[in-house]
Amino acid sequence: MSRAIEDILFGGPSPRARVVTWGLSAAVAGLLAYAIVARFHAAGQFELRLWEFFGWTTTWAFLAKGLLGTLASAAMAAVIALVLGLVLLLGRLSRLRLARLPSVAVIEFLRGVPTLLLIYVCFLVLPSVGIKLSTYWMLTLPVGLSTAAVVAEVYRAGVLAVPRGQTDAARSLGLTEAQVFFQVVFPQALRYIVPALVAQMVIVVKETTFGYVVTYGELMQNAKVLIANYQALVPVYLVVAALYCLVNYAISKASQRLGRPMH
Amino acid sequence: MQGVSGLLSAYGPAFGQALLLTWKLTAISFVAGFALGMVVTVLRLLPLQTLRFFLTGYVEIFRNIPSAVLLIFIVFALPDLQVLIDYEPSVILTLTLVCSAFTADYLRTGINTVGGGQVEAALSLGMRPMSVIFAVVLPQALRAVVQPMTSLLMALMLSTSLASQVPFPGKELTTLVAKLANDSAAGMPAFAVAAALYVASGLLIAWAGATLEKKVRILR
Repeated sequence: MSRAIEDILFGGPSPRARVVTWGLSAAVAGLLAYAIVARFHAAGQFELRLWEFFGWTTTWAFLAKGLLGTLASAAMAAVIALVLGLVLLLGRLSRLRLARLPSVAVIEFLRGVPTLLLIYVCFLVLPSVGIKLSTYWMLTLPVGLSTAAVVAEVYRAGVLAVPRGQTDAARSLGLTEAQVFFQVVFPQALRYIVPALVAQMVIVVKETTFGYVVTYGELMQNAKVLIANYQALVPVYLVVAALYCLVNYAISKASQRLGRPMH
Repeated sequence: MQGVSGLLSAYGPAFGQALLLTWKLTAISFVAGFALGMVVTVLRLLPLQTLRFFLTGYVEIFRNIPSAVLLIFIVFALPDLQVLIDYEPSVILTLTLVCSAFTADYLRTGINTVGGGQVEAALSLGMRPMSVIFAVVLPQALRAVVQPMTSLLMALMLSTSLASQVPFPGKELTTLVAKLANDSAAGMPAFAVAAALYVASGLLIAWAGATLEKKVRILR
């Protein structure tokens, strides 16, 4: 691998510069940490009652249940997105205008509308016209739908990246259009876009945080319950934010690993 | 369509204001987030290992935290730490932080497209490292990131719907229609109008981004 830009720009630091910068940064980091700790202390956020319930297994079991709810919703939303995304892609690539135009319209609509708005539709409007969804579906369906449109575009980028010669060769062998797509083009497209698809999962997990809007028992909703029980806003939200960061960081790292060339 | 025209005659100005507020929140947080992201990017180039370590942490945290969690933390938890931020600045701060983290990430990718040979050449001309960054590296990196930044701006515009999660005095689009759906039977048309406005804004951003991209892209 060639050298990174910053190494070319500045070269290696001299031993003296290394000591000086290390000392300076340690001092700054120390000051920052002190400021935060002092702020917590002054606001009385170190009181035992605010933190002791994190020592109980019931608290963690409850948070784990929330995380499980988040993952259950995210997984189903991902399945919806992957399947519906494929349907939308097929419509979009179709030579029939009757299939293409509606697919483009649906993709642009679902991509261009906030997920939160779709959740409010499921939550506020659908019941008034007699469609009753469970809280799980009020969250999962909108998240799945808006992700499906993005996934359709990701699929399309992958399909367009497959060299045209592949299609021509497959056709000249006498494969049907369906065979050309599902046996030759799409499998190769998938290999290009796996990292992007996995990265999309991060967005799905983030969007399931709106579960509390419809009171579906995911991590954020369970956090609110804990807060109501213990009046410990700061500790609970800090822990929940850390949990979300960890889950999403793990997914991003996985997608970067998948993105490395295979040979 | 009867519902939509009736709705527009009754709430037309409200929708106009809501759209303007959505645009305002988007614009402010994008400009601030872009500037902050640029600062983070440049600071991450400096030969200070510890600073790089902290800034990488910053980027990873705000890239991975759900915006809703961040906003709720700022609005409801920070007052317990005696840090009081008003609702509107809280929304803008949330979006700015998230935007800056993504900007820093994309710009880093843009910087990686600039060849090391160019930097070596600039240095051998006697330019100082900082002027190499600002005169050679950043301009090219910026031109390489138009497309991801357009997507980011669109995502940011949609994220302003977060403002509906805090008791915000002004009403952006999502807040407005959620309230209309609660108060009246105008649910579905109201959502349709809001959706149309969001889609139109998104298409506008996409068009502007594509135009800019065509103008500044570097063909390698």
